[in-house]
Amino acid sequence: MSTVQIILIAGLLLIIAYIYLRLRSAMVDAIVFILLGLVGTVLVIFPDFTTRIANTIGIGRGADMIFYFSILFFGFVCLKLYARVRKLEQQLTKIIRDIAIFQAEDARTNS
Amino acid sequence: MASRDTYILIPAYNEAIVIRGVLESLLKLPYQLILIDDGSTDGTEALVKDLPIHYLRHHINMGQGAALQTGFTYARRRNAEMVICFDADGQHDPNDIPLLLAPLVNGETDIVFGSRFMKGAVTNISFARRCLVHMARLVNFFFTGLWLSDAHNGLRALNQEALAQTKLLENHSAHASEFLFLIKKWNWKWKEVPVHIHYSNYSRRKGAKPASGFKIFIDLTLHKLFE
Repeated sequence: MSTVQIILIAGLLLIIAYIYLRLRSAMVDAIVFILLGLVGTVLVIFPDFTTRIANTIGIGRGADMIFYFSILFFGFVCLKLYARVRKLEQQLTKIIRDIAIFQAEDARTNS
Repeated sequence: MASRDTYILIPAYNEAIVIRGVLESLLKLPYQLILIDDGSTDGTEALVKDLPIHYLRHHINMGQGAALQTGFTYARRRNAEMVICFDADGQHDPNDIPLLLAPLVNGETDIVFGSRFMKGAVTNISFARRCLVHMARLVNFFFTGLWLSDAHNGLRALNQEALAQTKLLENHSAHASEFLFLIKKWNWKWKEVPVHIHYSNYSRRKGAKPASGFKIFIDLTLHKLFE
């Protein structure tokens, strides 16, 4: 086993442990992420396996296949995060709006 | 329909240089004024405190769309019969307001837009901005199928029914296109009237830049995706 494999496996196992600890209350999410982490670990140990899968879907190298799917995955993550930011911004706006209206009405009542 | 139930909404962010003059010119009209100070840090509040207006303040700068929606919600709570959106930078002409209100008063439409490009309109819009506006018209058409003579003109008026149905979700400049989404959604009757828009050096400095056109397009795409 090469050094890079040890580093990648350690990293993946740490991520799995972190996800398990954070998502114990959301088991479905936890299982999906843990499975992804385990698949990643297996692929790191047996790199030739990724190349075989890549070849069957028309990609030359396993590393390239991982790279392409990573781009798709992170694009999806960006969209999810953007949706979350929008939601947070809307919630913040509502608070700011309610305070503005409350203070204006309060000022008129007291004047 | 009492004029006292008609409200002019003025969203403002750091407009201390011109805001008092704009408000004083509007106070000559028989309508109520709502200034939504969108987190200004230039002393706007102190400048307008003695004026007979409704003053609302966002503690954080949230954007023009957010400020307008705050004004809409407040006006609705006061049972407003009609509202007019009016820019704080002095580019709009208070004399256009009765023209905007007329189609609402006689029940002809639910929303009226001011137009810089209809026959009878007067504007000193620059060539670059004119190109930008025409691109925005195309974008609006692409998203809504509505073909207006102008786009992103802040001067508009809504009746009580449209006011009740308006819930702007876009905090920034894309809110202007949201009105077109609302027309489609609620089947509002709409009309454009020619208005006078005078760009000063000040309003040109404060106004939208070409890059903001791109941001509006992205915001509208994401709006369609998420809302």
